[in-house]
This record gives sequence, structure tokens and C-alpha cells, in this order.
Amino acid sequence: MSTGLSLDAASLPGQSLPWLQDFRADARVQYVAEGLPTVRSEEWRYTSLASLQKKTFTAVAPAASNQVADYHSQQLLADTWRIVLVNGQVDQRLSMLEGLPEGVRVMSMAAALVEHEALIHRYLGHAMAAIKHGFIALNSAGFSDGVVVHVPAGTVLDKPIHCVHSVSHAELMVNTRSLLIIEENASLQWLESYGGIDAEYLSVAITEVFLAENAKLIAYKQQTESSHAYHFAGMYCKQAPYSCFTQHHFALGGVLARSETHTELATAAECELNGLYLGAGRQHLDHHTQITHAQPHSISREYYKGVLNERSRGVFQGRIIVEQQAQKTSSMMANRNLLLSEHAEADSKPQLEIYADDVKCSHGVTVGQLDEKSVFYLQSRGLDEASARNILIFAFANEMVEKISHRPLHAALLTAVLTRFPKLAIQPVVG
Amino acid sequence: MSDSTQEINQIINQEYKQGFVTVLETDTFAPGLNEAVIHQLSAIKNEPDFMLAYRLHAFRHWQTLTPPTWAQVTIDAIDYQAISYYSAPKRKEDGPKSLADIDPEVLAAYKKLGIPLDEQERLAGIAIDAVFDSVSVATTFKGKLKEVGVIFCPISEALRDYPELIKTYLGSVVPHTDNFFAALNAAVFTDGSFVYIPKGVRCPMELSTYFRINAANTGQFERTLIIADEGSHVSYLEGCTAPMRDENQLHAAVVELIALRDATIKYSTVQNWYPGDKQGKGGIYNFVTKRAECRGDNSKVSWTQVETGSAITWKYPSCVLLGNNSVGEFYSVAVTNNYQQADTGTKMIHIGKNTRSTIVSKGISAGHAQNTYRGLVKVLKSAENARNYTQCDSLLVGDQCGAHTFPYLEVKQPSAQIEHEATTAKIGEEQLFFCQQRGLSAEDAVSMIVNGFCKEVFKELPMEFAVEAQALLGLSLEGSVG
Repeated sequence: MSTGLSLDAASLPGQSLPWLQDFRADARVQYVAEGLPTVRSEEWRYTSLASLQKKTFTAVAPAASNQVADYHSQQLLADTWRIVLVNGQVDQRLSMLEGLPEGVRVMSMAAALVEHEALIHRYLGHAMAAIKHGFIALNSAGFSDGVVVHVPAGTVLDKPIHCVHSVSHAELMVNTRSLLIIEENASLQWLESYGGIDAEYLSVAITEVFLAENAKLIAYKQQTESSHAYHFAGMYCKQAPYSCFTQHHFALGGVLARSETHTELATAAECELNGLYLGAGRQHLDHHTQITHAQPHSISREYYKGVLNERSRGVFQGRIIVEQQAQKTSSMMANRNLLLSEHAEADSKPQLEIYADDVKCSHGVTVGQLDEKSVFYLQSRGLDEASARNILIFAFANEMVEKISHRPLHAALLTAVLTRFPKLAIQPVVG
Repeated sequence: MSDSTQEINQIINQEYKQGFVTVLETDTFAPGLNEAVIHQLSAIKNEPDFMLAYRLHAFRHWQTLTPPTWAQVTIDAIDYQAISYYSAPKRKEDGPKSLADIDPEVLAAYKKLGIPLDEQERLAGIAIDAVFDSVSVATTFKGKLKEVGVIFCPISEALRDYPELIKTYLGSVVPHTDNFFAALNAAVFTDGSFVYIPKGVRCPMELSTYFRINAANTGQFERTLIIADEGSHVSYLEGCTAPMRDENQLHAAVVELIALRDATIKYSTVQNWYPGDKQGKGGIYNFVTKRAECRGDNSKVSWTQVETGSAITWKYPSCVLLGNNSVGEFYSVAVTNNYQQADTGTKMIHIGKNTRSTIVSKGISAGHAQNTYRGLVKVLKSAENARNYTQCDSLLVGDQCGAHTFPYLEVKQPSAQIEHEATTAKIGEEQLFFCQQRGLSAEDAVSMIVNGFCKEVFKELPMEFAVEAQALLGLSLEGSVG
């Protein structure tokens, strides 16, 4: 692997902290020993990193260029706070955090390691104790920065914080680590978007989430990396009793993108994971979710949809684990795929692992084409076949967009999805 | 209702009734596995030279392999050198010619199992091959089947009598390189059934093999090969039992089915190997490779299995749908109780056009058992208009057990339509309450609900065996209800 671990000691934040040095050293040992995951690993059987292994990426960040500024101007969303990472470093000038409720901290990981060392020490690495593969090790050993959000008890943020990740140069490896700490009865809306210049680069981002009792997080992920980019992002979440975690995930970009969302639910916690992936060209879009019901009365709902065109490949691996004491669990998982080209491929592996008896769990998967009767119906109303198909495909995808209640984001996503259907004569209705 | 409920209740209160040991003189190899053992095995069976070469080739390959560990089961390492690879009731000089020559103890054992080998006593319409440890001791109705050209005999006999068929088909569906246990089986398999149905023949009776493990410290390595030539039809059933012992015994079988153009094979299994005692001590390790190839157009293979026994069941009866319009079916009920573990399911590989497959899997887990469905539906680019429907339901009885579902779907053909559904739940309080309110005891109600849960699969079994399967179900869940 020549992605060049950024182990250039001076450039990494928190070098003076012995515990962090140990943390990074352990990860480094693991990474050097194991390397990146291979298809021999069950959790990676549908995603080969062979093409990534051949590339050379450097972790040294040059100064940002104007192209990034362009990218950011496109990403500006009304009615949000904003924090921007350029090439893996928080850029305060591009960020906009005025008017945050009192006590809410939104800071760079580098700054937090200096000012709030105890807080970071308490949480860093604790959301994914059991899952550790090469990407996580790579990230732990070499993250250059990230965002730390701390929402104090009882505080509700009424609009999202938009975290913009962008890459300005080709052949860069960007490696960030973020922490979202949401205290009791607090609520956060968090939007991550990923993008960069039209070139090859590798973006690795890990976010650890800690939801205290009755806390709430709505997370949006808008993955619009360049069509040559490699993307790995993981969100690992620990949910205290009665907490609530919702994720809406839109995977649109990247040549090879893997997204992981793992969460562990305590008593009566809830989680809802929604996802949409639109594959075209030679895109490989992999989604790996793991929901662990560790305590009784928790609820999970998961719904992923994929539209796969041309030579793209969509992978969905969803794992639900119900531990022995987690009685009265209710869990539902569904994955629906539209396969539109003879060269496209859909791989789906939903898993139920259940050790408790008083549970209701189900999963369903479909892979298929558009319903010919629906196509015929639209044609009978005067549409040509291509438009009829386009409308139906759009409707299939739009179901996930319609779940977004934040209007500016809804409009942005609708536009992003619609650009995938150029022949469609539908204009987004922004309202 | 009350009659059948009483029956089920009686059955529920029984112990594993097939757990007796038959005392007889046997020829048994000393434990251990090396090339000398394979030479000896091949010699004792009087096999043609090509078989010895095949076995040795497989054995050398097996030595390069390591046991697989991916299944959702906990298992102690098996010492392959501690197992004896051949055990047979002592035979007279030239082997049994008729029932009169078979050791009466063996006959008695089968009688006790409810499988009389005397043709007069047996239900007409079912021919039986009885395999006792490493050898086939009797095959009934051979003559009658021969009249229509059907070959039904122990595979060791087929090796000698039909070498051409064996050379063509043996290992053509499950090659010795397939997996660890298939390689082991190819090296040391001892007996099993061989079936050949000629062109256009509808086999006049059900064919059946009854496997019995009797000797201690032996492994049973059965090999079954069924070939249905063009336009033929056959229904085959296997049953299995073993004595109660504290040590685990290994059963590593390979079953190959080949359906040529327009042929249909229906393969049913009622597996009731000794499952171990209530503490999980002893029992059979049932590690089996079963695969069917629908080679010809319009062929069909249907697997039905009722898995109630074995300490660990690890098998995936599969269909390779090669011919256009071919059909694969898999109906399964897997019941695990106490400390039993099952990791079972199927693979449907769609290659031909318009191929269809149906998977219905019902898992019931009780006590401390772990029950896993693992299945693959793979649609290759060539499989235009492939269709699959999968349903796997799990029922949990008791809060110490586990039920897991691991389906894999891989689709490379846009005209394919693939559906998968799975549910896991326990028996609803409301359902139980309703039954009790109508006058049933809790235990009867559970039996009834469980039987209803499995009905979809039982209706696929030949009638006589459906009855047996229902009885077994009650037996396996004994003590877990209420």
C-alpha cells in the first residue's frame, strides 16, 4: 500500500499527548500488519480495493486552490451553520458558526486536542471498539484534523450544521476524524457533504457519535465525490437509552465508495437508516450497516434503495444483531434495487443475527426492473417509452429524497438526483 | 384435532428412540488416515483401479486443505486420525446374496427402526437401500426396478458394474476440489446409493436410502449419485439415525444429482441423526455437500429437507440451473433444540435462460440452540428472465436460543427478478391465548402452531414421510414447550 500513511510526526495534531501517541502507535502497528481489507474478509467480499492499492496518494496537503472556493460556493446551503474542511484541515475562514446556541462547541479536532483534551480522551475510539479494519487503523494512525461537536444537555439546534469536506488537489489522501457528542435531551442535525476537484484522490473520514439519554441526531450524508475519487466514510454510533438516531445517506459520486454506518442501541433507543445510491459509469458503491440491539425495547428501521446503470455495481450489506437480553426488539430492513443495464450488478447481503426470542425482525430484498405495466400505463397517457421509464426511475429514487424535511437541503438533493436524469422534463419544486 | 394432538404429545414425551446400539461382529479399520488406509479400503471393496487413483488424488489434495471456519457454529477441532474410516458387519465369504444371509442382528436393528427390509412387509411402492455404517446391507425391489431399466444399487456395486456411468458422472457436480469435506469424502467414501433412470422412464416407486451409524469412533462417508436421463422422473428419500454416544461422530457425505433434458428429480431428506443429550454432549456432526445440476433444458430438481437431528448440521443442498427453463426448488425445515447447531440453506446458481428457483426455509430454534439460514442466489449474465423467490422464516422458542439469517444475492442480469423475505419472531402470545381459549393446553397449542408454521414444507414430502416428519418435529422440541 503506497497511500503513504501520514506519519510525519510533526504534522499530526496532538503530538504532545502520550495517550494519543499510544493510540496512533497501536493503530499503526495494526495497519502495517494487516493493510487494507481484502475480499477474503467476509465484510468486504463484494468490494475489492485492488485498484486503490495500485495508486499512490500523498497525505501532505498543499495550500487550497480557487477550485475549492468554487466548490464551496456551490455547497452553500441556506438555513445552516457551516464548518469547512479543505484537504483534511478545518478552514475557519470558510466556516460560518455565528449564532450557535450557548454552550454548543463546534471546533476543529486539532484545537479540541489542545483545549479539551480530557473530553477527547474520554470519547476518541470508543464508538467502534469491536470493529477495526485497515481503514479504521489507517484513520486512527494518521488523521490530520476533523470536527468536534459538543452539544450540552437540553440544547436543541434548530438548523443543521453543514460539514463540508473538500479536496483541492489530485493524488491527495485526506484523512479526518470527527466526534459528535450529544448530551442528555439535546438534539443535533448534522449534514456532511463530500466533494472535490475532478481528479483522483482518496478521502477517508470517520465520525464517532455519542448520544446520551434521550438525545437525538439527524445525520445527512451527501456523497458527491469526483467521479475518479476513492471514498471511505464510517459513522460509528453509541446510543444511550431513549436516544434517537436517523441517517439519510445519498451516494452519488466516487469511482469506488464505501460507507459504513454502525450503531449500538441501549434500552428503548431508536434508529432509522435510509440510503439511496445511484450508480453509473464504472462506479462501485458499497454500503455496510450494522445495527446492534444490545438492550430491550429498541427499534430499528432501515431502508436502502439503489439504481444501477451502465457498468456500475451496488453493494448492500446490512447486519442486524439482537443480543440475548434485547427482548422486545423491533427491527425491519429493506433493500430495493433497480438494475437497468446488462453490465450492472447488484449484490445484497442482509443479515439477521438473533439471540433473543421475544422479537419481531424482518428483512426483504428485491432486485429487478421497472414494472412493465406502469411503463405501459404512462405510455397510454401519451409519454414516449424513454420518458415513461425515466419518470418511474426518478420516482423510485425520489422516495428517499422526499424523506428530507430541511427544505434547502431537499432542493439541493433533488437537483443532484435530477441531474442523473437529463431527459426528464421535471423541474425541482423548491418550497 | 384431539387425536393428533395426543399423538404429538406422546411423541413429545419420548426420548431419542433410535439411540440403541446393535451388538455385532464387525470388520473395523483401526483409527487413522493415510494412503495405506485408502489402498485397503479400495481393495476391500474390490474397486476398479481408476477409483483407487481417484481416491488417492483426492486424498493428496485434502492434505493441502485446512478445515473451514466461516460457519456460524462452535466446534472443537476434529482429529481426523482418531476416526476409523471403515466399519461393516462381518460378512460371509461372498457377501449376502439374499436377506437370509444378512446378520439377523442387522435385520433386527432395521426392524426396530421401523424399516423392515423384507419386501413382503414393506409398503409396496418404496424401494430401500439400507446402509449400515460403511456398507450397504440390502437393497429391496432391485429386480422389479430392473424390469423398467432403473438401476438402484449400492454405489460400491455400481463402481464395479457400471464403471462407464461412474467415470462420466462421479465428481462431475461436486469435484474433490470443491471443499474440505468433499475432498475427504472423495478419498474415503464407503457406500451410498446409486440411481440411474433411463430415458423417458418414470420410476415406478419411491426410492429410499436408510443410513444407520452403529459402530463407535467411526465416521460415515456416504456418497450418493443420482442420474435422471432425458425425460425421466424420480423421487428419492433418505433417512438417517445413529446410537446415543457421548463422543461426537462425523458424517461427511456428498450427494450429486444430475438432471438431463426434461428430467425431474425430487430429493427428500428426513435427517434424524443423534443430536446429543440435553447438555449438548455427543451427537453427530453432519457436514454434507449436496448439489444438483439441471444440465438439460426444462429439467427440474426439488430438494426437501427436514433436519431435526445432529449436534451440528452444516449443509447447503444447491442447484446449478444450467439448462434453459430449468427449475430449482428448496424446501427446508430445520429444528434445533438443546445445544444443537444448524447452519444450513441453499445455493441457486442461475445460468440458463428463464430459469426459476424457489426457496422456502423454516427454522425453529429452542433451548440453547443456534439455527442459521445461509443462502446464495446468484444470477449470471446469461440468465435472462431468471426468477427467484425466497422466504425464510424463523421461530424462536425460549430466550436462550438464536436464529440467524444470512442471505447472499448477486445479480448480474437486469431482466432477473429476485425477491427475498425473511422474518423472525416467537410464537405470539395472542395466538397461544386464542388456542387455549378454545380449549387446547399450552403445549398442544404450541405443537399446532409449529406444525402450521412448517406446513408449506411438509406438503412437499411424500405422504408417508410427511407423517414421520411431523412426528419428528414434536420429538425434537420435547421439553422446550410450555
